[in-house]
Amino acid sequence: MTFPIVSVTLFLPLLGAALLLLMRGSPPRVAHGVGIAFSGLTLLGALWMWARGVPTGEVGFSQVEEIPWIPSIGAAYRVGVDGVSLPLVLMTAVLFFVSLVFSAHVRERAGSYVALFLLLETACLGSFVALDMILFYVFFEVTLVGMYFIIAGWGYEGRQRAALTFFLYTLLGSLPLLLAILALYLGSEPNTFDVREIVAAPPLTGLAAMLALIAMLVTFFVKTPLFPVHTWLPLAHTEAPTAGSVILAGVLLKLGTYGLVRFALQMTPDAFRAAAPYVAALAVFSALYGAFVALGQTDLKRLVAYTSVNHMGYVVLGVAVAAAATDAGTRALALDGAVLQMVSHGVVTGALFLLVGMLQDRAHTREMREFGGLLRLVPVLGWFFVLAAFASLGLPGLAHFAAEFQIFLGTLAVYPVAAVVVLGIAVTAGLYLRAIQVAFLGKPSEDRVGMKDLGRRELLAVVPLLVLTVLLGVAPFLVLETVHATTRVLLP
Amino acid sequence: MIFTLAILAPLAAAALILLLRRGASALALLGAGAGLAGASVTLARVSGGAYPSATLPGLPGLPLRLVAEPLTALLSVVVAVVGFLVLVYAVGYMKEEGGKARFYAEMSFFVAAMQTLVLAGDWVLLLASWELIGLASYLLIGFWFWREGIPQAATRAFLYTRTADLGLYVAIFVLVSRTGTTELSGTLAVGGTAATVAGLLLLVAAMGKSAQAPFQGWLQDAMAGPTPVSALLHSATLVAAGAILMIRVSPLLTPTAQLAVGLMGGLTIVVAGLIAVSQRDLKRLLAASTSSQYGFVLLAVGAGSPAAALLHLVAHAAMKSSLFLGAGIFQHARGSTAFEDLRGVGSERRLVFAGFVVAGLALAGVLPLSGFFSKDAVIAAAFASPYAPALAPFTLAGTLLTAVYVARTLRLLWRGEGEDEPVAGIGWMGVALAVLVGLAAVLGFAAEPLARLTGGEPPRDLATALLVLTLALAAGGLLLGWFVLAGRLLGPLGVPAEEGFRVAGGFDGLVARPALVLARMLDRLDRCIHAGVLGVGGLGLALARASRLADERGIDALIAALVRGLRELGGRARELQSGLVHRELLLAAAGAALILVLLVIGP
Repeated sequence: MTFPIVSVTLFLPLLGAALLLLMRGSPPRVAHGVGIAFSGLTLLGALWMWARGVPTGEVGFSQVEEIPWIPSIGAAYRVGVDGVSLPLVLMTAVLFFVSLVFSAHVRERAGSYVALFLLLETACLGSFVALDMILFYVFFEVTLVGMYFIIAGWGYEGRQRAALTFFLYTLLGSLPLLLAILALYLGSEPNTFDVREIVAAPPLTGLAAMLALIAMLVTFFVKTPLFPVHTWLPLAHTEAPTAGSVILAGVLLKLGTYGLVRFALQMTPDAFRAAAPYVAALAVFSALYGAFVALGQTDLKRLVAYTSVNHMGYVVLGVAVAAAATDAGTRALALDGAVLQMVSHGVVTGALFLLVGMLQDRAHTREMREFGGLLRLVPVLGWFFVLAAFASLGLPGLAHFAAEFQIFLGTLAVYPVAAVVVLGIAVTAGLYLRAIQVAFLGKPSEDRVGMKDLGRRELLAVVPLLVLTVLLGVAPFLVLETVHATTRVLLP
Repeated sequence: MIFTLAILAPLAAAALILLLRRGASALALLGAGAGLAGASVTLARVSGGAYPSATLPGLPGLPLRLVAEPLTALLSVVVAVVGFLVLVYAVGYMKEEGGKARFYAEMSFFVAAMQTLVLAGDWVLLLASWELIGLASYLLIGFWFWREGIPQAATRAFLYTRTADLGLYVAIFVLVSRTGTTELSGTLAVGGTAATVAGLLLLVAAMGKSAQAPFQGWLQDAMAGPTPVSALLHSATLVAAGAILMIRVSPLLTPTAQLAVGLMGGLTIVVAGLIAVSQRDLKRLLAASTSSQYGFVLLAVGAGSPAAALLHLVAHAAMKSSLFLGAGIFQHARGSTAFEDLRGVGSERRLVFAGFVVAGLALAGVLPLSGFFSKDAVIAAAFASPYAPALAPFTLAGTLLTAVYVARTLRLLWRGEGEDEPVAGIGWMGVALAVLVGLAAVLGFAAEPLARLTGGEPPRDLATALLVLTLALAAGGLLLGWFVLAGRLLGPLGVPAEEGFRVAGGFDGLVARPALVLARMLDRLDRCIHAGVLGVGGLGLALARASRLADERGIDALIAALVRGLRELGGRARELQSGLVHRELLLAAAGAALILVLLVIGP
């Protein structure tokens, strides 16, 4: 038997969290040490999984590990990866590692803070590697609990309300998924919760499939989020602590789009094909809406939060185009773009939230008009923000360009009208350039003189993400090779 | 792969400068020099018939390609020559400025990105470098980002061009999804409606980059950057990119698209020419002139003569960079580029002025300088094209306007008096200027070999009558510009021309402000939606509270009352059992009597 690296990687953070519970009352330094060590080991595990890779052009999953759980109803502990989930696993491990490095300055109840992050990491990784629908649902729900306590416990002034809104919104949102899972289970013959079997032979047809699809779309659109169920996002982001925002935007939103591919697209493909024009239209609208609302923001964190609505709209558009595409080439192209966009968004938005958080730590405000000339005062922070902002607005050579190019190219081939979505790249350029102009260019304001530039902890947190931003932009094939191995055979 | 040296050498220089943070100018010169050597060797090889190319990994099924063909190799040399000389000049110009590492790194990066653009053999790489030169110019225009007005100029330059770039994006999607390949040469033969649509979309992108009407506004604001940046931007990189794109895709253009390209070029020749005549600032005048001259290039493409377009592009690169380098020296001498401050600077610095005059007269089309040949090639092409009645008048008007603003500039620089300051680094600046002026003078004689190299039809010669007419127009324009004040010349057009013919507030009024208003409205809407969702949640909470109240006050109270009643009843019943025999006997007897009565009156 090969070494069960998937399960080890999956439960390492949970082990760290358990250890922290045993060591209650230990000083913050120790708690952060444990957190960084365990998330670091998890990252090594994810790299190991990456090194094992996925076989090219083979249908299905690899690195599968399986233990019977409730055999009478066909539920089991089953984990494994394919070209869609593996990049997300690696991205998740990276983001948790840098979040915990950045969080090393948290003094207040540090042990609980780190333990919650580690719990959340296992839940997120579990959602991506689960090959059993019940197991997925459990991990999917546990992410809510972890994020609820992080926002409610370590957020800003309005944190209680924001945390509750987030929790109720997404909890209510995820109930339809449970119904869909049960429908898929009851429709399968013999009854099973095994993702592999459901995906290989989608059990539902006709109206049942369409109803199950609609239920799943509701859940995943709330999570992604898509207009009009996105309003929890800016509130949660403004009140969440910086590292919480990084994980929320970087990882939790991807659960929505990952579910869209794994569940909605793969388990009810025909229904999705029928619904694709509507999904695509909603995605285009949501992407443009997110871009415009972001343009209307002056709070830097809300601005970044709304650009997530824009970027995630592109992902949903890519998936819808893949569902509707009739030729395998276009389908793979759009899906490649969607998956790469998920990874790029995680890395770039993670960096942006870290940088805005660093600004807030210094100035105790995120209002862009209260800054000015920061590029002269804190050049390292300033140039890092410029780099991340240009990546987010889709500049070539940085992370988002390749993904958006693929999504848009696929879109034009399938829905020429939807090409109007490219307007989004002009609007995002406008909003980031405006933010840079107002906050970073110009004359430094008097009362900010003496602001300190980035320290070692902050550099250690943000530099890896910026390096990845450039790497994904210059050599997108490093990730796309893995993604493409799966996407070209994802749908029969 | 020696031809990639044109890209890699400046790129490596940029990276090294950022890493070492010292010897910036030397490293930049070294990179640009090596790039120039690479480009020259490549051109020599290509003219010998060997076309090197390279394929790089890109996206799945869409590899990146670099190709050195006659056209791309020639453009690569143009970029390398101008880039190198501008950097030589910059050594002098930037002598007393801070932030050298950043300046030279960004300039080297600019050259590398532009070289990638001209050598790109596929649409993805072309689009990537197209956007990267936008980034480089944003950074360089905003080089002094803490100074008044500079952030706005940089932002505007990037936003104008990126908005127009949407045309390039969609054109590429159309071409690639129709032909299934991203290879540039493989998509040019697509034909039909797709070709027309793509051609028009590409035109939009080119108009944005080459500052064609109605997108001309950003270029004048961009003058706020260091003068070497302007020289590079106008002659061989950012602004040239639009014209270069149209030359490269000229086989794609259908008659409809050709006419549109020609008309937009023609319109810009006149509009930007009028703007140039009315300017009160040397650099802003040169900027408007650049738009106008690229109008000539586009018009030639529209007239179906990419060879004439290329010739004018190359000649303009030499002429316009010379003019900017001269302007930069004047700027250092007087601390300003406003004509008011530059009075008499020409008569003080005669050598520089002589160079400036040569380049200016070349631009005006004076025999035998390069502009004469290149402009006449464009005019000949316009007259020979099927759209001659529509296109030719623009070229003649443009010839006149060019001569007017050149003569006006020369007069403003020559006449009057002012205080000159000593200029540091004049040696470096002078050398670069001299070489470029030399090129501007003689490049016209390269028309034949240029056409032979690129394999196109050589530009036609003008008929004698036309030749006389254009020379007369140039001479007349020069005289008008020298002797007649601009205000009187333009009449009622003067004020709108000086303001750059901003229709309805220009880009700001038509695009930027409405977008911001829309954004604010949607933001308010979004807060309403959120309030609505919270309202639904609140309604749920209110319902819950109401039912809790109902529970507490209603059902609970009822049950409590019931319990209380029963307890009271129990209490009373207990009182009956007093333990006193006589009372209990009485009760028993009464009970028995009651039972008896019930039995009797019962059934």
